Amino acid sequence: MSQHTITYQHSGVRVEEVKKQSPLRPWANRTAKFKLVTALAALIPLFMIALVFAFTEIPGPIVVVVIYLPLQILSAVIAAFLVGGKNAAPDAVIIVLAIGATLLSIIIVVSILYTIVVRGFEALSVSFLSQNNEYISPPTPLGYGGIAHALLGTIIIVGIAMLISVPIGIATAVYITEVKGKGANAVRFFVQAESGVPSVVAGLFILTVFILSGAITQSAFAGALAYFILMLPTVARTSEEVLKLIPDDLRTGALALGSTRARTVMRVVLPAARTGIITATILGIARVMGETAPLLLTALTNDKTVWNPFGEPIASLPTFIFFNVSLPFPAAVSRAWGAALVLMVFVGIVFTAARYFGARKFVQS
Amino acid sequence: MSTAEFEGKTATLEANLGQRTPEALIEMESRELSLWFGSRKILEGVSIKFPRNTVTALIGPSGCGKSSYIRTLNRLHELIPSASLAGEVLYEGNDIYAPEIDPVSIRLKIGMVFQKPNPFPSMTIRGNVLSGLKLSGMKRPNHDEIVEETLTKAGLWKEVKDRLDHAAGDLSGGQAQRLVIARALAVQPSVLLMDEPCSALDPASTLKVEETIAALSKTMTIIIVTHNMQQAVRVSDNTAFFLAAENEPGHVVEQGPTTEIFSNPQDERTLDYVNGRFG
Repeated sequence: MSQHTITYQHSGVRVEEVKKQSPLRPWANRTAKFKLVTALAALIPLFMIALVFAFTEIPGPIVVVVIYLPLQILSAVIAAFLVGGKNAAPDAVIIVLAIGATLLSIIIVVSILYTIVVRGFEALSVSFLSQNNEYISPPTPLGYGGIAHALLGTIIIVGIAMLISVPIGIATAVYITEVKGKGANAVRFFVQAESGVPSVVAGLFILTVFILSGAITQSAFAGALAYFILMLPTVARTSEEVLKLIPDDLRTGALALGSTRARTVMRVVLPAARTGIITATILGIARVMGETAPLLLTALTNDKTVWNPFGEPIASLPTFIFFNVSLPFPAAVSRAWGAALVLMVFVGIVFTAARYFGARKFVQS
Repeated sequence: MSTAEFEGKTATLEANLGQRTPEALIEMESRELSLWFGSRKILEGVSIKFPRNTVTALIGPSGCGKSSYIRTLNRLHELIPSASLAGEVLYEGNDIYAPEIDPVSIRLKIGMVFQKPNPFPSMTIRGNVLSGLKLSGMKRPNHDEIVEETLTKAGLWKEVKDRLDHAAGDLSGGQAQRLVIARALAVQPSVLLMDEPCSALDPASTLKVEETIAALSKTMTIIIVTHNMQQAVRVSDNTAFFLAAENEPGHVVEQGPTTEIFSNPQDERTLDYVNGRFG
């Protein structure tokens, strides 16, 4: 609320008056008819499907998709026609569809999160987060044994995969966008093709080429190699898109200062693309974090805590979930849900941290 | 009077006498320079001499090849994959396109300021000024002095001296343009190319950049592309008028001392252009 002095001439006399003004939003004022029609358009379909629910036994999802959605679109079109004429009707269809699609995806995500939180929460305890499975067997009740070894294994495997694939991915993107070498198109094509490799095939490749040949054993490193195959295309393709967005002005600006191409890339282009490259890394991690099949072939699992990335099989959260959820013991199934919850929270932490560090202002002096 | 000042005065004098400049005072020149993008010829037979420590304005309507021409002078033209050229560009008497010449060394001697201010967003103001040293690997001591000296020359020191460690992205357009001028000066080029440096600036910033140009021209050869006739008159010693007929490559219609070009042009098209009748 602001006080406002208005001065104007009135019959040749200066008049000063103080007028109180408050902020208004005239465009948001609706007529009573509009309010009534909108309310009816929202309530009538809801009332009708409430009746359907009450008097029939049609399953809920079918009611929503087959009966409620068309009804809601119809009522929105009628309402829009009554209020805004025939031009408003198509808008109403789009609005209902957009809101419906948004709600649907929110419902899916929330119900997954809800299930994992509710079922995983009963397994959570200090021992669950700090112990391994060395001294328990699957039927052992909750309260003994935990997933610390699997969490550690996932961190080691994803960490190694990241250390290999992020530099190679960025270098690939630099080759395609900055070096623009003769093979750029071929490299782009093969990287794209690589992103279509099913994860189990990546595991099989490492198994046959590296493990069965005796070069390495089933271990965190072998798992990381399989993850690397899956991560590389994501990191490379995303980095490429990011580097393409860096304006050419910066490159020519650097070259005009007598910079070499290498220094231009290292000191100007990549720092300018830093946030995007962090996003590329996150997407790469997200791509592999829950992959189970490649690890079943390359890292197996283990009940012990393993620190050495070479030499022996290692547990990981996805394989822990996979083995335990299919056992006929309620405690084991509970542990699997608990591990799923931990995996989800861990992914959330990684994402948040990466977003935080990526968004932070960063300047070189 | 120092030697440099004397030379500068002489050069200006000579230039004003109508391009009868002795070879020794010519810092740069292009001889019969023609440019192509792919098979499309955009510039034909351009021969211009740039005397040491003078300002030369390149004027002409859009699309007549001025910007492409100025980019050939420090070998940025070749970054466009379809680009090609014929003719010679001489810097201190040597062809800069000779096979043994490293383009990086040319760009160090012949700096450039672009139409759109392009400070490096990931660096501080100070980092931007010194970026040329890091990027070119040039060793110069006393970085603090360089920062103050170049920012002062570019007319920006007073505005930013208390926030040298802030991100360069926070500067206004006019400040950013003066920052990139300071950045270009830090590597001590002897020629400065300016491609419409004021086209994105407000009148006050434009004035400051013009004052900067006037101050710099005492010790540097400046070549400036501009669409602003008054600016060409205000800042330049010599002017070259570029023109391209429809579907034909651009060429230099007329060149000479700025006062001559604007007050007594020999070609009717130049007269029409400088009086704003087309373009």
